Amino acid sequence: MHIKDHPVLGPQLQDPVTIYFNDQPYMAYKQQTVAAALIANGVKKFGLSRKLVQSRGLFCSRGRCCSCYMTVNGEDHVRTCMIRVEEGMEIYPNLEDPEVRGDGHGD
Amino acid sequence: MDKTTIICRCEEINCEEIEEAIGHDARTFDDIKRLTRCGMGPCQAKICISLVADVIHEQTGSHLHEIPLPRMRMPISPIKLETLATNSTTFSSVKSVMDEVELEEGKVR
Amino acid sequence: MVMETDVLIIGAGPAGLAAAYETASRGLDVTIVDESISKGGQLCQQTQILRTLPSPFLAMRGYELANTLINQLDEFSVRYLLGHRMIGTYKDGSIGITDETNVFPVNPKKIIVATGAAEKAVPFPKWTLPGVITVGAAQTLVNRDFVTPGKNAVIIGSSDFAMDVAIQLSDVGVNIIGIVESLPKILARDAEKTEHIMQRSIPLYLRSSIKEARGNGEVEEIDIQFPDRIMTEKVDLVCVDGGRTPILDAFYQLGCSFGFQEELGGWLPQYNEFLQTDCKDVFLAGNAAGISSQGALLITGRIPGVRVCEELNIISKQEAEHERASHWKELENLEAKLFPEKWEARLNHIKNYANPLLKDQFIS
Repeated sequence: MHIKDHPVLGPQLQDPVTIYFNDQPYMAYKQQTVAAALIANGVKKFGLSRKLVQSRGLFCSRGRCCSCYMTVNGEDHVRTCMIRVEEGMEIYPNLEDPEVRGDGHGD
Repeated sequence: MDKTTIICRCEEINCEEIEEAIGHDARTFDDIKRLTRCGMGPCQAKICISLVADVIHEQTGSHLHEIPLPRMRMPISPIKLETLATNSTTFSSVKSVMDEVELEEGKVR
Repeated sequence: MVMETDVLIIGAGPAGLAAAYETASRGLDVTIVDESISKGGQLCQQTQILRTLPSPFLAMRGYELANTLINQLDEFSVRYLLGHRMIGTYKDGSIGITDETNVFPVNPKKIIVATGAAEKAVPFPKWTLPGVITVGAAQTLVNRDFVTPGKNAVIIGSSDFAMDVAIQLSDVGVNIIGIVESLPKILARDAEKTEHIMQRSIPLYLRSSIKEARGNGEVEEIDIQFPDRIMTEKVDLVCVDGGRTPILDAFYQLGCSFGFQEELGGWLPQYNEFLQTDCKDVFLAGNAAGISSQGALLITGRIPGVRVCEELNIISKQEAEHERASHWKELENLEAKLFPEKWEARLNHIKNYANPLLKDQFIS
Protein backbone atom coordinates (compact mmCIF):
# COMPACT_ATOMS: atom_id res chain seq x y z
CA MET A 1 0.00 0.00 0.00
CA HIS A 2 1.06 3.57 -0.67
CA ILE A 3 1.36 5.65 2.52
CA LYS A 4 -0.75 8.71 1.69
CA ASP A 5 -0.18 10.49 5.00
CA HIS A 6 3.05 9.57 6.77
CA PRO A 7 2.80 9.84 10.58
CA VAL A 8 5.98 11.94 10.84
CA LEU A 9 6.58 13.30 7.33
CA GLY A 10 2.97 14.02 6.34
CA PRO A 11 1.56 13.66 2.80
CA GLN A 12 4.52 13.18 0.48
CA LEU A 13 3.21 11.27 -2.52
CA GLN A 14 2.26 13.79 -5.16
CA ASP A 15 3.25 12.91 -8.71
CA PRO A 16 1.50 9.71 -9.79
CA VAL A 17 2.80 7.69 -12.74
CA THR A 18 1.62 4.50 -14.39
CA ILE A 19 4.04 1.61 -14.64
CA TYR A 20 3.50 -1.77 -16.27
CA PHE A 21 4.44 -5.09 -14.68
CA ASN A 22 3.84 -8.09 -16.96
CA ASP A 23 1.86 -5.67 -19.16
CA GLN A 24 -0.58 -4.83 -16.33
CA PRO A 25 -0.81 -1.16 -15.30
CA TYR A 26 -0.04 -0.17 -11.71
CA MET A 27 -0.05 3.19 -9.98
CA ALA A 28 3.19 4.48 -8.52
CA TYR A 29 4.65 7.82 -7.44
CA LYS A 30 7.68 9.53 -8.90
CA GLN A 31 9.98 9.39 -5.89
CA GLN A 32 9.50 5.62 -5.42
CA THR A 33 11.92 3.00 -6.58
CA VAL A 34 10.65 0.34 -8.97
CA ALA A 35 10.92 -2.32 -6.25
CA ALA A 36 9.02 -0.21 -3.71
CA ALA A 37 6.29 0.74 -6.19
CA LEU A 38 5.65 -2.90 -7.02
CA ILE A 39 5.51 -3.85 -3.32
CA ALA A 40 2.98 -1.03 -2.80
CA ASN A 41 0.84 -2.79 -5.40
CA GLY A 42 1.17 -6.19 -3.71
CA VAL A 43 3.83 -7.55 -6.09
CA LYS A 44 6.60 -9.14 -4.04
CA LYS A 45 7.86 -11.89 -6.28
CA PHE A 46 10.33 -10.28 -8.66
CA GLY A 47 11.94 -13.33 -10.21
CA LEU A 48 13.21 -16.87 -9.94
CA SER A 49 16.58 -18.12 -8.80
CA ARG A 50 18.83 -19.63 -11.45
CA LYS A 51 19.50 -23.09 -10.04
CA LEU A 52 16.65 -24.13 -7.74
CA VAL A 53 14.01 -21.98 -9.50
CA GLN A 54 12.81 -20.44 -6.24
CA SER A 55 11.07 -17.09 -5.86
CA ARG A 56 13.13 -14.01 -5.16
CA GLY A 57 12.21 -10.44 -4.25
CA LEU A 58 13.55 -7.36 -2.52
CA PHE A 59 15.90 -8.18 0.34
CA CYS A 60 18.46 -5.47 1.21
CA SER A 61 17.09 -2.41 -0.64
CA ARG A 62 20.68 -1.09 -0.78
CA GLY A 63 21.74 -2.32 -4.21
CA ARG A 64 23.92 -5.01 -2.67
CA CYS A 65 22.13 -8.36 -2.74
CA CYS A 66 20.88 -8.31 -6.35
CA SER A 67 17.76 -10.28 -5.33
CA CYS A 68 15.56 -7.59 -6.86
CA TYR A 69 16.92 -8.01 -10.39
CA MET A 70 14.22 -7.43 -13.02
CA THR A 71 13.97 -6.49 -16.68
CA VAL A 72 13.18 -2.78 -17.00
CA ASN A 73 12.45 -1.14 -20.35
CA GLY A 74 14.14 -4.03 -22.13
CA GLU A 75 17.27 -4.04 -19.98
CA ASP A 76 17.93 -7.26 -18.06
CA HIS A 77 19.29 -7.57 -14.52
CA VAL A 78 18.41 -4.09 -13.31
CA ARG A 79 18.70 -3.62 -9.53
CA THR A 80 15.15 -2.34 -9.09
CA CYS A 81 15.76 -1.08 -5.54
CA MET A 82 18.17 1.50 -6.95
CA ILE A 83 16.19 3.13 -9.77
CA ARG A 84 13.09 5.25 -9.59
CA VAL A 85 9.89 4.73 -11.55
CA GLU A 86 9.18 6.67 -14.71
CA GLU A 87 5.90 7.14 -16.57
CA GLY A 88 5.14 4.15 -18.78
CA MET A 89 8.00 2.01 -17.49
CA GLU A 90 7.73 -1.61 -18.61
CA ILE A 91 8.86 -4.15 -16.05
CA TYR A 92 9.13 -7.92 -16.34
CA PRO A 93 10.27 -10.44 -13.74
CA ASN A 94 13.74 -11.97 -13.87
CA LEU A 95 12.76 -15.52 -14.75
CA GLU A 96 15.93 -16.79 -16.41
CA ASP A 97 19.36 -15.72 -17.53
CA PRO A 98 19.30 -13.16 -20.33
CA GLU A 99 19.98 -14.41 -23.84
CA VAL A 100 23.43 -13.03 -24.59
CA ARG A 101 24.67 -15.35 -27.31
CA GLY A 102 21.75 -15.24 -29.74
CA ASP A 103 21.26 -13.15 -32.88
CA GLY A 104 21.75 -9.47 -32.32
CA HIS A 105 24.01 -9.96 -29.34
CA GLY A 106 27.23 -10.88 -31.17
CA ASP A 107 28.86 -14.11 -30.12
CA MET B 1 21.86 -24.62 11.62
CA ASP B 2 19.47 -26.59 9.41
CA LYS B 3 21.49 -28.23 6.62
CA THR B 4 19.14 -27.08 3.89
CA THR B 5 19.42 -23.38 4.80
CA ILE B 6 20.70 -21.36 1.86
CA ILE B 7 23.90 -19.48 2.74
CA CYS B 8 24.72 -17.96 -0.65
CA ARG B 9 21.51 -16.55 -2.15
CA CYS B 10 22.97 -16.00 -5.62
CA GLU B 11 24.60 -19.36 -6.28
CA GLU B 12 22.17 -21.14 -3.95
CA ILE B 13 24.75 -22.93 -1.86
CA ASN B 14 23.32 -24.40 1.33
CA CYS B 15 24.81 -24.99 4.74
CA GLU B 16 25.49 -28.66 4.03
CA GLU B 17 27.57 -27.82 0.96
CA ILE B 18 29.64 -25.31 2.95
CA GLU B 19 30.16 -27.90 5.69
CA GLU B 20 31.20 -30.48 3.11
CA ALA B 21 33.82 -28.06 1.75
CA ILE B 22 35.07 -27.51 5.30
CA GLY B 23 35.25 -31.32 5.57
CA HIS B 24 37.65 -31.15 2.63
CA ASP B 25 39.87 -28.79 4.65
CA ALA B 26 38.49 -25.50 3.36
CA ARG B 27 39.32 -22.92 6.04
CA THR B 28 38.76 -19.56 4.37
CA PHE B 29 35.97 -17.98 2.35
CA ASP B 30 38.08 -18.25 -0.79
CA ASP B 31 38.71 -21.97 -0.19
CA ILE B 32 34.96 -22.51 0.01
CA LYS B 33 34.38 -20.33 -3.01
CA ARG B 34 36.77 -22.40 -5.12
CA LEU B 35 35.08 -25.65 -4.10
CA THR B 36 31.42 -24.61 -4.25
CA ARG B 37 30.99 -21.32 -6.23
CA CYS B 38 29.70 -19.76 -3.00
CA GLY B 39 30.00 -15.98 -3.36
CA MET B 40 30.49 -16.03 -7.14
CA GLY B 41 27.05 -14.77 -8.14
CA PRO B 42 25.97 -11.22 -8.95
CA CYS B 43 26.29 -9.89 -5.38
CA GLN B 44 29.91 -11.09 -5.18
CA ALA B 45 29.69 -12.36 -1.58
CA LYS B 46 28.24 -9.13 -0.18
CA ILE B 47 25.50 -11.01 1.67
CA CYS B 48 27.07 -14.41 2.41
CA ILE B 49 30.50 -13.22 3.61
CA SER B 50 29.52 -13.04 7.28
CA LEU B 51 27.26 -16.12 7.11
CA VAL B 52 30.09 -18.25 5.72
CA ALA B 53 32.46 -16.97 8.40
CA ASP B 54 29.89 -18.02 11.02
CA VAL B 55 29.68 -21.55 9.55
CA ILE B 56 33.49 -21.87 9.46
CA HIS B 57 33.60 -20.65 13.05
CA GLU B 58 30.95 -23.15 14.15
CA GLN B 59 32.52 -26.08 12.32
CA THR B 60 36.21 -25.54 13.02
CA GLY B 61 36.26 -23.48 16.20
CA SER B 62 38.40 -20.86 14.46
CA HIS B 63 37.90 -17.39 15.85
CA LEU B 64 36.29 -14.94 13.46
CA HIS B 65 39.52 -12.89 13.36
CA GLU B 66 41.34 -15.99 12.11
CA ILE B 67 39.04 -16.29 9.11
CA PRO B 68 40.39 -13.85 6.52
CA LEU B 69 38.29 -11.70 4.22
CA PRO B 70 37.60 -12.97 0.71
CA ARG B 71 39.09 -11.15 -2.24
CA MET B 72 36.99 -8.21 -3.29
CA ARG B 73 37.49 -7.65 -6.95
CA MET B 74 36.75 -4.92 -9.38
CA PRO B 75 34.02 -4.03 -10.24
CA ILE B 76 32.80 -3.43 -6.69
CA SER B 77 29.17 -3.74 -7.82
CA PRO B 78 27.58 -4.96 -11.08
CA ILE B 79 28.25 -2.83 -14.14
CA LYS B 80 27.26 -3.24 -17.78
CA LEU B 81 30.06 -4.60 -19.94
CA GLU B 82 29.13 -1.93 -22.47
CA THR B 83 29.93 0.73 -19.87
CA LEU B 84 33.09 -0.93 -18.65
CA ALA B 85 34.57 -2.04 -21.94
CA THR B 86 33.37 0.50 -24.46
CA ASN B 87 32.95 3.71 -22.55
CA SER B 88 35.97 3.69 -20.27
CA THR B 89 38.48 6.46 -20.83
CA THR B 90 42.22 6.80 -20.27
CA PHE B 91 42.87 4.06 -17.79
CA SER B 92 45.96 2.16 -16.81
CA SER B 93 45.90 -1.51 -15.90
CA VAL B 94 43.25 -3.01 -13.71
CA LYS B 95 44.74 -3.34 -10.26
CA SER B 96 42.56 -6.06 -8.83
CA VAL B 97 43.86 -8.77 -11.13
CA MET B 98 47.38 -7.50 -11.70
CA ASP B 99 49.02 -10.49 -10.10
CA GLU B 100 47.09 -12.81 -12.39
CA VAL B 101 47.00 -11.19 -15.79
CA GLU B 102 48.59 -8.04 -17.08
CA LEU B 103 46.41 -6.06 -19.44
CA GLU B 104 48.60 -4.06 -21.77
CA GLU B 105 47.51 -2.44 -24.97
CA GLY B 106 44.54 -4.75 -25.06
CA LYS B 107 46.64 -7.90 -24.82
CA VAL B 108 46.42 -10.47 -22.06
CA ARG B 109 49.84 -11.75 -21.14
CA MET C 1 39.29 12.99 -19.38
CA VAL C 2 40.84 12.67 -15.93
CA MET C 3 39.09 14.50 -13.12
CA GLU C 4 41.44 16.15 -10.62
CA THR C 5 40.27 17.09 -7.14
CA ASP C 6 41.82 17.84 -3.75
CA VAL C 7 39.58 15.50 -1.81
CA LEU C 8 37.45 12.65 -3.12
CA ILE C 9 34.83 11.46 -0.65
CA ILE C 10 33.14 8.12 -1.32
CA GLY C 11 29.68 8.25 0.22
CA ALA C 12 27.37 11.21 0.86
CA GLY C 13 26.03 9.91 4.18
CA PRO C 14 26.47 11.73 7.50
CA ALA C 15 30.17 10.91 7.87
CA GLY C 16 30.97 11.82 4.26
CA LEU C 17 29.09 15.11 4.59
CA ALA C 18 30.84 15.89 7.89
CA ALA C 19 34.22 15.21 6.27
CA ALA C 20 33.18 17.40 3.32
CA TYR C 21 32.34 20.28 5.67
CA GLU C 22 35.74 20.11 7.39
CA THR C 23 37.60 20.19 4.08
CA ALA C 24 35.39 22.34 1.83
CA SER C 25 34.82 25.03 4.49
CA ARG C 26 38.59 25.55 4.61
CA GLY C 27 38.75 26.08 0.89
CA LEU C 28 39.65 22.66 -0.52
CA ASP C 29 38.12 21.44 -3.75
CA VAL C 30 35.91 18.53 -2.69
CA THR C 31 34.20 15.88 -4.81
CA ILE C 32 31.59 13.56 -3.29
CA VAL C 33 30.47 10.38 -5.02
CA ASP C 34 27.29 8.58 -4.04
CA GLU C 35 25.43 5.77 -5.73
CA SER C 36 22.08 7.21 -4.71
CA ILE C 37 20.59 10.22 -6.47
CA SER C 38 20.06 11.99 -3.16
CA LYS C 39 22.43 13.12 -0.42
CA GLY C 40 22.31 12.09 3.23
CA GLY C 41 22.70 8.32 2.93
CA GLN C 42 20.70 6.18 5.31
CA LEU C 43 20.10 9.19 7.55
CA CYS C 44 17.33 10.38 5.20
CA GLN C 45 14.91 7.70 6.34
CA GLN C 46 15.71 7.90 10.06
CA THR C 47 12.54 9.50 11.44
CA GLN C 48 13.43 8.76 15.06
CA ILE C 49 14.92 11.53 17.20
CA LEU C 50 18.70 11.40 17.60
CA ARG C 51 19.51 12.64 21.09
CA THR C 52 23.27 12.41 21.44
CA LEU C 53 24.75 14.55 18.69
CA PRO C 54 28.02 16.50 18.83
CA SER C 55 27.95 20.30 19.06
CA PRO C 56 26.66 22.43 17.46
CA PHE C 57 23.76 20.08 16.77
CA LEU C 58 20.79 19.78 19.10
CA ALA C 59 18.63 16.69 19.30
CA MET C 60 16.70 16.27 16.05
CA ARG C 61 15.22 13.64 13.79
CA GLY C 62 17.59 11.80 11.46
CA TYR C 63 16.27 13.32 8.22
CA GLU C 64 16.47 16.80 9.79
CA LEU C 65 20.12 16.18 10.61
CA ALA C 66 20.67 15.03 7.02
CA ASN C 67 19.18 18.31 5.74
CA THR C 68 21.30 20.32 8.17
CA LEU C 69 24.49 18.58 7.03
CA ILE C 70 23.55 19.11 3.38
CA ASN C 71 22.59 22.77 3.81
CA GLN C 72 25.77 23.72 5.65
CA LEU C 73 27.73 22.76 2.53
CA ASP C 74 25.72 25.05 0.24
CA GLU C 75 28.13 27.97 0.30
CA PHE C 76 31.27 25.94 -0.40
CA SER C 77 32.89 24.45 -3.46
CA VAL C 78 31.62 20.88 -3.42
CA ARG C 79 31.18 18.81 -6.57
CA TYR C 80 28.48 16.21 -6.11
CA LEU C 81 28.62 13.14 -8.31
CA LEU C 82 25.26 11.64 -7.39
CA GLY C 83 24.08 8.53 -9.19
CA HIS C 84 27.78 7.70 -9.52
CA ARG C 85 29.73 4.91 -7.87
CA MET C 86 33.28 3.76 -7.43
CA ILE C 87 33.95 0.54 -9.31
CA GLY C 88 37.57 0.04 -8.27
CA THR C 89 41.10 1.40 -8.42
CA TYR C 90 43.62 1.31 -11.22
CA LYS C 91 47.31 0.56 -11.12
CA ASP C 92 48.27 4.22 -11.47
CA GLY C 93 46.25 5.00 -8.34
CA SER C 94 43.29 6.62 -10.05
CA ILE C 95 39.80 5.78 -8.88
CA GLY C 96 37.33 4.41 -11.44
CA ILE C 97 33.97 6.14 -11.19
CA THR C 98 30.93 5.28 -13.26
CA ASP C 99 27.70 7.13 -13.98
CA GLU C 100 26.37 3.85 -15.49
CA THR C 101 27.02 5.10 -19.03
CA ASN C 102 30.73 5.86 -18.84
CA VAL C 103 33.65 5.03 -16.60
CA PHE C 104 36.16 7.79 -15.92
CA PRO C 105 39.21 8.14 -13.66
CA VAL C 106 39.42 10.54 -10.74
CA ASN C 107 42.84 11.54 -9.39
CA PRO C 108 42.39 12.96 -5.91
CA LYS C 109 45.15 14.24 -3.68
CA LYS C 110 43.38 12.60 -0.74
CA ILE C 111 40.50 10.16 -0.55
CA ILE C 112 38.09 9.76 2.38
CA VAL C 113 36.10 6.54 2.22
CA ALA C 114 32.76 6.80 4.03
CA THR C 115 30.95 3.80 2.60
CA GLY C 116 29.05 3.05 5.79
CA ALA C 117 27.69 -0.21 7.08
CA ALA C 118 26.00 -3.25 5.60
CA GLU C 119 23.28 -5.18 7.38
CA LYS C 120 24.05 -8.79 8.17
CA ALA C 121 21.50 -11.40 7.21
CA VAL C 122 19.91 -13.97 9.53
CA PRO C 123 19.65 -17.30 7.74
CA PHE C 124 16.90 -19.86 8.37
CA PRO C 125 15.18 -22.33 6.05
CA LYS C 126 13.45 -20.37 3.22
CA TRP C 127 14.78 -16.96 4.28
CA THR C 128 15.17 -16.33 0.56
CA LEU C 129 11.38 -16.06 0.08
CA PRO C 130 10.05 -12.68 -1.06
CA GLY C 131 8.70 -10.85 1.99
CA VAL C 132 11.79 -11.64 4.05
CA ILE C 133 13.77 -8.38 4.06
CA THR C 134 16.26 -6.59 6.27
CA VAL C 135 15.00 -4.14 8.91
CA GLY C 136 16.83 -1.41 7.01
CA ALA C 137 14.96 -2.29 3.84
CA ALA C 138 11.66 -2.11 5.74
CA GLN C 139 12.56 1.34 7.05
CA THR C 140 13.51 2.54 3.57
CA LEU C 141 10.19 1.37 2.17
CA VAL C 142 8.19 3.13 4.89
CA ASN C 143 10.09 6.40 5.30
CA ARG C 144 11.65 7.02 1.89
CA ASP C 145 9.35 5.30 -0.58
CA PHE C 146 6.15 5.68 1.46
CA VAL C 147 5.13 2.07 1.03
CA THR C 148 3.85 -0.37 3.66
CA PRO C 149 5.82 -3.56 3.07
CA GLY C 150 3.19 -5.89 4.56
CA LYS C 151 0.22 -6.30 6.88
CA ASN C 152 1.45 -8.80 9.48
CA ALA C 153 5.11 -8.71 10.36
CA VAL C 154 7.59 -10.39 12.62
CA ILE C 155 10.88 -8.71 13.51
CA ILE C 156 13.97 -10.87 14.07
CA GLY C 157 16.37 -9.11 16.45
CA SER C 158 15.94 -6.62 19.27
CA SER C 159 18.66 -3.98 18.70
CA ASP C 160 17.82 -0.30 19.08
CA PHE C 161 17.53 -0.11 15.31
CA ALA C 162 15.17 -3.10 15.15
CA MET C 163 13.02 -1.46 17.84
CA ASP C 164 12.94 1.84 15.94
CA VAL C 165 11.83 0.09 12.79
CA ALA C 166 9.22 -1.99 14.66
CA ILE C 167 7.72 1.25 16.05
CA GLN C 168 7.82 2.95 12.65
CA LEU C 169 6.15 -0.04 10.97
CA SER C 170 3.51 -0.11 13.66
CA ASP C 171 2.90 3.65 13.18
CA VAL C 172 1.97 3.10 9.53
CA GLY C 173 -0.46 0.34 10.42
CA VAL C 174 1.62 -2.80 10.10
CA ASN C 175 0.57 -5.35 12.70
CA ILE C 176 3.72 -6.50 14.51
CA ILE C 177 3.09 -10.08 15.56
CA GLY C 178 6.24 -10.21 17.63
CA ILE C 179 9.90 -9.39 18.09
CA VAL C 180 12.00 -12.53 18.13
CA GLU C 181 15.32 -12.48 20.00
CA SER C 182 17.57 -15.52 20.36
CA LEU C 183 19.31 -14.17 23.48
CA PRO C 184 17.73 -14.20 26.95
CA LYS C 185 17.60 -10.37 26.97
CA ILE C 186 16.61 -7.41 24.81
CA LEU C 187 19.60 -5.94 22.96
CA ALA C 188 18.28 -2.37 22.74
CA ARG C 189 20.06 -0.04 25.16
CA ASP C 190 17.41 2.63 25.05
CA ALA C 191 14.85 1.48 27.61
CA GLU C 192 12.39 4.04 26.25
CA LYS C 193 12.18 2.12 22.98
CA THR C 194 11.37 -1.13 24.75
CA GLU C 195 8.72 0.76 26.70
CA HIS C 196 7.16 2.03 23.46
CA ILE C 197 7.04 -1.54 22.22
CA MET C 198 5.36 -2.69 25.44
CA GLN C 199 2.80 0.15 25.28
CA ARG C 200 1.78 -1.05 21.84
CA SER C 201 1.34 -4.58 23.25
CA ILE C 202 3.87 -5.95 20.79
CA PRO C 203 5.05 -9.31 22.19
CA LEU C 204 8.79 -9.71 22.81
CA TYR C 205 9.90 -13.31 22.44
CA LEU C 206 13.25 -14.05 24.10
CA ARG C 207 15.27 -17.26 23.70
CA SER C 208 13.47 -17.81 20.41
CA SER C 209 14.38 -18.07 16.76
CA ILE C 210 12.84 -18.77 13.39
CA LYS C 211 12.74 -22.49 12.69
CA GLU C 212 11.40 -22.15 9.20
CA ALA C 213 9.51 -19.87 6.83
CA ARG C 214 6.99 -21.24 4.35
CA GLY C 215 5.01 -19.88 1.46
CA ASN C 216 4.08 -20.30 -2.15
CA GLY C 217 6.06 -17.64 -4.03
CA GLU C 218 6.26 -15.38 -0.98
CA VAL C 219 6.40 -15.75 2.78
CA GLU C 220 3.02 -16.79 4.27
CA GLU C 221 3.86 -18.54 7.51
CA ILE C 222 6.71 -18.90 9.98
CA ASP C 223 7.52 -21.26 12.81
CA ILE C 224 8.95 -19.55 15.88
CA GLN C 225 11.04 -21.97 17.91
CA PHE C 226 10.93 -21.59 21.69
CA PRO C 227 12.93 -23.73 24.14
CA ASP C 228 9.86 -25.86 24.82
CA ARG C 229 7.53 -25.40 21.86
CA ILE C 230 6.97 -24.17 18.34
CA MET C 231 4.51 -21.42 17.48
CA THR C 232 3.22 -20.99 13.93
CA GLU C 233 2.19 -17.52 12.76
CA LYS C 234 0.65 -16.20 9.53
CA VAL C 235 2.87 -13.36 8.27
CA ASP C 236 3.52 -11.59 4.98
CA LEU C 237 6.60 -9.72 6.19
CA VAL C 238 9.68 -10.86 8.08
CA CYS C 239 12.29 -8.20 8.94
CA VAL C 240 15.70 -9.52 9.90
CA ASP C 241 18.32 -7.65 11.91
CA GLY C 242 21.63 -9.49 12.07
CA GLY C 243 23.60 -6.44 13.16
CA ARG C 244 25.83 -4.33 10.95
CA THR C 245 29.33 -4.58 9.62
CA PRO C 246 31.62 -2.03 7.87
CA ILE C 247 31.54 -2.05 4.05
CA LEU C 248 35.07 -2.85 2.97
CA ASP C 249 35.15 -3.30 -0.82
CA ALA C 250 36.61 0.13 -1.55
CA PHE C 251 39.38 -0.29 1.06
CA TYR C 252 40.27 -3.69 -0.34
CA GLN C 253 40.54 -2.20 -3.81
CA LEU C 254 42.69 0.63 -2.47
CA GLY C 255 45.11 -1.87 -0.91
CA CYS C 256 44.45 -1.05 2.76
CA SER C 257 45.27 -3.44 5.61
CA PHE C 258 42.59 -4.76 7.95
CA GLY C 259 42.17 -5.55 11.62
CA PHE C 260 39.38 -7.15 13.59
CA GLN C 261 37.29 -5.65 16.38
CA GLU C 262 34.15 -7.57 17.22
CA GLU C 263 32.57 -4.59 19.01
CA LEU C 264 33.06 -2.36 15.95
CA GLY C 265 31.43 -4.83 13.55
CA GLY C 266 34.23 -7.31 12.81
CA TRP C 267 36.80 -6.70 10.07
CA LEU C 268 37.62 -3.06 9.47
CA PRO C 269 40.44 -1.10 7.84
CA GLN C 270 43.45 -0.53 10.05
CA TYR C 271 43.69 3.14 10.97
CA ASN C 272 45.56 5.56 13.25
CA GLU C 273 44.44 8.53 15.35
CA PHE C 274 44.03 10.60 12.18
CA LEU C 275 41.58 7.99 10.81
CA GLN C 276 44.18 7.41 8.16
CA THR C 277 44.72 3.91 6.74
CA ASP C 278 48.16 2.47 6.03
CA CYS C 279 47.75 3.77 2.47
CA LYS C 280 48.84 7.30 3.34
CA ASP C 281 46.41 9.19 1.13
CA VAL C 282 43.41 7.05 2.08
CA PHE C 283 41.31 8.07 5.08
CA LEU C 284 38.06 6.73 6.43
CA ALA C 285 35.00 8.07 8.19
CA GLY C 286 31.78 6.89 9.80
CA ASN C 287 30.56 3.33 10.14
CA ALA C 288 33.35 2.18 7.81
CA ALA C 289 35.68 2.98 10.74
CA GLY C 290 33.56 0.92 13.14
CA ILE C 291 29.83 0.67 13.74
CA SER C 292 28.82 3.35 16.23
CA SER C 293 26.13 5.87 17.16
CA GLN C 294 25.00 8.66 14.81
CA GLY C 295 26.72 11.25 16.98
CA ALA C 296 30.04 9.42 16.95
CA LEU C 297 29.83 8.97 13.18
CA LEU C 298 29.82 12.71 12.59
CA ILE C 299 33.00 13.16 14.61
CA THR C 300 34.73 10.33 12.76
CA GLY C 301 34.04 12.41 9.64
CA ARG C 302 35.61 15.53 11.16
CA ILE C 303 38.85 13.88 12.33
CA PRO C 304 40.12 12.76 8.89
CA GLY C 305 38.88 16.06 7.44
CA VAL C 306 41.18 17.98 9.77
CA ARG C 307 44.16 15.76 8.93
CA VAL C 308 43.59 16.14 5.20
CA CYS C 309 43.62 19.94 5.60
CA GLU C 310 46.83 19.69 7.62
CA GLU C 311 48.58 17.46 5.08
CA LEU C 312 47.51 19.74 2.24
CA ASN C 313 48.89 22.74 4.18
CA ILE C 314 45.55 24.49 4.56
CA ILE C 315 45.85 24.68 8.33
CA SER C 316 48.88 24.73 10.61
CA LYS C 317 50.09 21.78 12.62
CA GLN C 318 49.12 23.60 15.82
CA GLU C 319 45.62 24.38 14.65
CA ALA C 320 45.17 20.79 13.49
CA GLU C 321 46.37 19.42 16.79
CA HIS C 322 44.03 21.70 18.69
CA GLU C 323 41.06 20.69 16.50
CA ARG C 324 41.95 17.05 16.72
CA ALA C 325 42.21 17.07 20.50
CA SER C 326 38.77 18.63 20.80
CA HIS C 327 37.22 16.14 18.33
CA TRP C 328 38.71 13.17 20.17
CA LYS C 329 37.51 14.58 23.47
CA GLU C 330 33.99 14.89 22.09
CA LEU C 331 34.14 11.42 20.56
CA GLU C 332 35.12 10.06 23.94
CA ASN C 333 32.23 11.92 25.57
CA LEU C 334 29.73 10.50 23.11
CA GLU C 335 31.09 6.99 22.65
CA ALA C 336 32.70 6.04 25.95
CA LYS C 337 29.54 6.79 27.91
CA LEU C 338 27.00 5.19 25.58
CA PHE C 339 29.08 2.31 24.19
CA PRO C 340 32.14 1.86 26.44
CA GLU C 341 33.07 -1.40 24.71
CA LYS C 342 33.12 0.33 21.31
CA TRP C 343 35.36 3.10 22.62
CA GLU C 344 37.69 0.50 24.12
CA ALA C 345 37.77 -1.41 20.83
CA ARG C 346 38.48 1.77 18.88
CA LEU C 347 41.48 2.59 21.10
CA ASN C 348 42.74 -0.98 20.77
CA HIS C 349 42.32 -0.85 17.03
CA ILE C 350 44.41 2.30 16.81
CA LYS C 351 47.09 0.70 19.01
CA ASN C 352 47.31 -2.16 16.51
CA TYR C 353 47.98 0.24 13.61
CA ALA C 354 51.46 -1.09 12.93
CA ASN C 355 50.40 -4.72 13.20
CA PRO C 356 47.37 -5.40 11.01
CA LEU C 357 45.99 -8.93 10.84
CA LEU C 358 45.49 -8.79 7.09
CA LYS C 359 47.81 -6.97 4.74
CA ASP C 360 49.11 -7.17 1.19
CA GLN C 361 45.84 -8.71 0.07
CA PHE C 362 46.74 -8.34 -3.59
CA ILE C 363 49.89 -10.43 -3.28
CA SER C 364 48.24 -13.68 -2.31
